[in-house]
Formats: sequence, structure tokens, C-alpha cells
Amino acid sequence: MEKLDRLGWAEGIGVRAFGVHAGVRVSTAGVLPQVLPLLPPGCMKSRRATVQRLYSLVIAEGSQRAGVRRMHILYADSSRIARDTELGHVLAALETDLHRYIAEASPEMTFLHAGVVGWQGRAILLPGRSLSGKTTLVRELLRLGATYYSDEFAVVDDSGKVHPFTRPLGIREDSTYAQTKYTAETLGATSGIKPLPLGVVVICKYKAGARWKPALLSNGQGALELMANSIAVRNHPHQTLQRIQKLTAGTVFVKGTRGEANESAEPILNLNLLHRSNRGEKA
Amino acid sequence: MKEREYPQARVDCLTREFGNEVLVYDQQRNVGHCLNPTAAAAWKLCDGKKSASEVAKILTQQLSAPVDESVVQLAVEELSKARLLVEAEKPLRRTSRRHAIRTLGIAGAIALPLVTSLVAPTPARAASCLANGRPCVSNAQCCSGRCGVTSGHCGA
Repeated sequence: MEKLDRLGWAEGIGVRAFGVHAGVRVSTAGVLPQVLPLLPPGCMKSRRATVQRLYSLVIAEGSQRAGVRRMHILYADSSRIARDTELGHVLAALETDLHRYIAEASPEMTFLHAGVVGWQGRAILLPGRSLSGKTTLVRELLRLGATYYSDEFAVVDDSGKVHPFTRPLGIREDSTYAQTKYTAETLGATSGIKPLPLGVVVICKYKAGARWKPALLSNGQGALELMANSIAVRNHPHQTLQRIQKLTAGTVFVKGTRGEANESAEPILNLNLLHRSNRGEKA
Repeated sequence: MKEREYPQARVDCLTREFGNEVLVYDQQRNVGHCLNPTAAAAWKLCDGKKSASEVAKILTQQLSAPVDESVVQLAVEELSKARLLVEAEKPLRRTSRRHAIRTLGIAGAIALPLVTSLVAPTPARAASCLANGRPCVSNAQCCSGRCGVTSGHCGA
């Protein structure tokens, strides 16, 4: 770390997000504006002298020549986490690692790997591993009028409410798994601002040609599924289980395999109505 | 020594109740388990001092339905498979699920004991994966599951 500290740093920024302090410094002036859009939603500038995680981005200087590959290098504290000739790739690595670190270290919130939309005052959670089709389903739910909360993390507070994490949707469009980013607004949807109580949790995986016939899960089974998609359960099991317990009170859990998103999206929105009628609320 | 003859629930796990079900988190193995109401009720009675027949008697009272010893043995077996019991000195008496179903009858008043387990993910596994050609430091980060050792990039 001392060696890194001795390098000349042109500019930097300290941020606080969900109770985590992080910093980013860059070796070349003028790069920081490219970093700012990658910071997590809801983060604020922080002037704290010490941070929990410090990113150091060393920009390759000089022109690219034949036979010489000049790499941009990214460090998280003293560990090198990315190096690439494309600055965009290194910045994407910074975004991914920073968001994951905050999700892992936040003392204020529990982060679940899930897509989230708001519908009639309740959150619909779509937990699932990578490539299970969360973002595709979120996009379809937005098309039907749902409010965008996240395509990556459900952020849960102590009272069991779900907060927005409205980073642009990363839609994978080809077999290389590359993502194209779209804001909810460019897709004709609106982004949520207020934390919402949970209505429905839909655990599903895409399978071509499958029919959407979900099975109801018990609260215990549902909580187990949420545990299996929580970022920090290994580090903070007590806190994670406590928040999951709050989250599951009165929640409807369903699990199944879905085919195309446009066939399952509407029934999913209707599940939220089922939840409301179960609780005796007016639709 | 007599105490170890009977099943004893581990006390070093985190537990949370969800109605009649119990979620147990094993911090040593990073595995979560959901115990259905029958398994949960049996697990709570596994104190190393009660035999299966004694547990069955108490469960019959608690659940207001007849619970056979074979159902308790099945619960103990499920819990043991999930490593939620202190290892017994004596090997467990095996009972088959089919036998337990026969004992319960087709319209049994209680469900067969069931323990569902899922592994807790590492933070890297729990987040979205990286596309091919993106810089990486571990296989778990890549959608393809392959991070090149020399290139430091996700590969196809």
C-alpha cells in the first residue's frame, strides 16, 4: 500500500453509501468525471480522512504502440483487481467491485441479489443468481407500468422495507454476456424513491418454452431462498437473518420456472393483488 | 455416556422461527436449513436425554396428533444428514421414508419431517457475473466460470 501511496495522485473522491465509506483516487487529472456516474445510487460525498476501502486507478500514460500494451490498472486497497488496455473495462470493474463491497460491508442494510419493482405500494422481489433472467423480467414488469427499484440488489432496512438501488439496468444481449446499460427512464418507466414494504417474492428461472405455473412456498422456505441470495450472510449471519425475518412477515412466496418474460410478467403483478387481498387491503 | 446415546441438537447454530418452521444457519459450514414443522418440533426436543419414543410421546401431545417413533427416527435421520446434531456415539437406527409414510397413513395428520438445505453464497457468487473479456481475479466472478490466470480476463 505504501508503494501505491507514493505514486502521484491527481484527484480523488471520498463517498459514503449505506453506512460504508469508500474512496477513489486516479493518477491522471480529468478521469474522475468518468468515475462519478459509476458510484452507487444514494451515495454522498464524504470528507472523512480514512475510508474502509480505497480504489486506486492508475491510468496508462503515453500512446499505444505496436508491440507495447499499456494497461490501466485498478487496485482495491493493495490488491490489483483489474488491468486492461480499455479504460471502460477497468471502470466497469471498479463499479462492480465498489457496489459489491458496499453490499457486503453495509452495517445499515442487508443486500439481496434480486431484481425489484414497485407495484401498487408494494415491492415485488425477484431473487436469483446471475443469468437467471432477473433483468429481462424487471424490464417486462416496467413495460406493464411497474416502478423501477433495482435489477441487481434488494436493499432491506431494519424495519423490513425495501429501498431503491436504481442503477441503470444491465441488459445482456449476446452470448458473450456483455451488458448494455439502460436507465429506467429511457425504457419509459419511472424510478422509485420511497422504501416499500414487501408484497411478493418470485423465485424463478428462465427456461425456453416453459409454462409459468409457480408453487407457493412457506415463509420458512422463502426465507431460506432469500438467505441463499444474500450478499453478506457469511459475514453477518445474525443481522441478515434478523432482517429477512422482518421482511417475510405477511409476504407471499412463489417459485417456478418461467418461459418468456411477457407471459409471466402479468401473472406476477396479479400475485401482488393476491397478497393485498390476503392482508385485507383494498386493491 | 448415556446422554450421547440419544440425539442432541447442535447449539452453535443461529436459528430463527417462521411460524412453526425453523431456519437454522450453520456458521461452520455456511449452510442454511429450513426445518418443516415436524422436523422443527423434533429438533427442539433433541437434547441428548430423550429417546425417540419419549420424543414421539411429547410430539403427540404438542401436535395433538399421533406421532409414531418411526417419524421421530426419520426426523433424526434428516437432521443428522444436515449435520444439525451432535454426532451420536451409537450409530443412528435407520428408518425408511416409505415405512414412516405407512405408519402415518395416507391422510396423516402431520407432515413427514423434512429439512431443506441451501449453501450460503460467497459475495462474488451472489453478485452479477462478468462478461467475457472483462478483467477478473477469480473464476467465480465470470459468467463463463473461467478467469484466465495469465490474461486476468474472463474467457469463453
